[in-house]
Amino acid sequence: MSAVFDFAVSTVTIAGIYALMALGLNLQAGYAGLLNFGHIAFAGLGAYAAGIGFGLGWAPLPSLALGVGLAMLLGAFMAGLGRKLASDYWGIATLAIAEILRTIATNEGWLTGGANGISAIPALFDGLPRPWNAVAFLALVLGVLAAAAWLCARLGNGRFGRALRLMREEPQLATCLGYNLRTLKTRAIMASAAVTALGGFLYAHYMSFAGPEYMLASETFLLWTMVMIGGLGNTLGVLVGVVTVQAAHVLVPFAKDWIGFGSDVAGALRLGLIGAILLACLLWRSEGLVPEKLRKIP
Amino acid sequence: MTPLLRVHDVAKAFGGNQVLHGVEFDIAPGEIVGLLGPNGSGKSTLLNTITGFEAIDRGRIEFEGRRIDQVPAHRIVAAGVGRTFQLPSMPRRMSVMEVAMAAATSHHGVWGTLLGSAGSRQAEAAAHAKATALLEQLLLTRVRDLPASALSGGQKKLLGIVCALMGDPRLLMLDEPTAGVHPNLRRDIVAALQRLNAKGMTLVIVEHDMHFIREVCTRCIVLDRGRIVASCRPDELASNEHVVQAYLGSVEPKAVEEAA
Repeated sequence: MSAVFDFAVSTVTIAGIYALMALGLNLQAGYAGLLNFGHIAFAGLGAYAAGIGFGLGWAPLPSLALGVGLAMLLGAFMAGLGRKLASDYWGIATLAIAEILRTIATNEGWLTGGANGISAIPALFDGLPRPWNAVAFLALVLGVLAAAAWLCARLGNGRFGRALRLMREEPQLATCLGYNLRTLKTRAIMASAAVTALGGFLYAHYMSFAGPEYMLASETFLLWTMVMIGGLGNTLGVLVGVVTVQAAHVLVPFAKDWIGFGSDVAGALRLGLIGAILLACLLWRSEGLVPEKLRKIP
Repeated sequence: MTPLLRVHDVAKAFGGNQVLHGVEFDIAPGEIVGLLGPNGSGKSTLLNTITGFEAIDRGRIEFEGRRIDQVPAHRIVAAGVGRTFQLPSMPRRMSVMEVAMAAATSHHGVWGTLLGSAGSRQAEAAAHAKATALLEQLLLTRVRDLPASALSGGQKKLLGIVCALMGDPRLLMLDEPTAGVHPNLRRDIVAALQRLNAKGMTLVIVEHDMHFIREVCTRCIVLDRGRIVASCRPDELASNEHVVQAYLGSVEPKAVEEAA
């Protein structure tokens, strides 16, 4: 019983953290139409800030501020890099930036612990007895997620989001109405970076660890998969996408026991299943399970 | 009096194609100027250079006495120059009303939107009121909740005008506002433009329809192969030999005789 409970708490906690990062990606990809393939770098900075801050003896909040600040700086840098690039080339550049950061994290051992990463980052509620420490962390994640989802929806539906969505679909019209597209992009990426770094920070505390594998490109594409399955440009859609992908992830091990295939097959099957869901969505529901709706203005 | 817009010796080439050869003209406040010329004469390029969408190779452009030829497009709009496009393309996942409201650009920052600051709320209320009124004036109220991309070509032009007017420009440049628009609607556009002009807005209108030009414009500028060949009242156009030549090609008397 207790094992199932722990498993459920852990699954939902991780889903909640991914949801934060996916909401961040949606600010860029969904509202602003930016193809950021290096998105996971923001989460990586959040996670490493948690680890490095802990190493320096900082309290969690200053470490969080450091992570969010660094991620926003990186966001501003990425936006500046995009000035002369077409959107697809910019996507490749962002992928390269994330890979460079991962390489730095792997090699600058004095700061990041190298390939071993930074371990023993304390969980935030160590004072509580098991399993309440995990439950308290879950409550924190869900609370932060609810606030972030509300804020992201508000941003996307409000004056800022409207400007972003106009830029996404008709950049020429947006310019001729007086929008500075570069500023809009920079702000969208920086807001997105802040939310995503928050996710990375929580992840490091949850896993008690920050390492270069957090910044693998496959993580970015997992987030993209979630957002595309759920529905770009729709907060509820993003959450549905995260739940769908996370459910596929979690259910495969159960199926393994029922049907009786080996563990090595399970990993491949997991990826295959998520790939199949993505493909099915692209073929039959190209705008996602919960597509972006026309926003009615009374 | 200083002109509202001064275009001085503007040249522009694309690759080896010299589209504008030292174009030069002034526009006084309150005028309604028709910009005419055969296809490929450089009208749209001229519009694009004035509004900052194309950089010029030579010359200068001033608006209200200030140079705007080195200024990015979005800042030229903020300075008071609005424009519409010949073939406007409109977003698919935004309603007509949303597009109109997006055209009011003030207070669109992240924090104002998140916190619902007083400025942001006021801007939103003002944009709502103005968009409602303009959509009513240009007969788009019935379709205000449809996706903007679902409008007909003529309605998209009207929405383009609504968007340009949301920014209260002092100079509005319209690229073929009535091409492909139903005659009844055309009358409404003419009336709306004249009302705007009566309130002090200066208009530059690229148009092929001579009827429209005679009805609306106070002056015409005729471009041919990147040069201005005439600047005159609309009723003088037919007797201007440069204009006739630009539109009909050169008529050689001998060829005419032979044909006869």
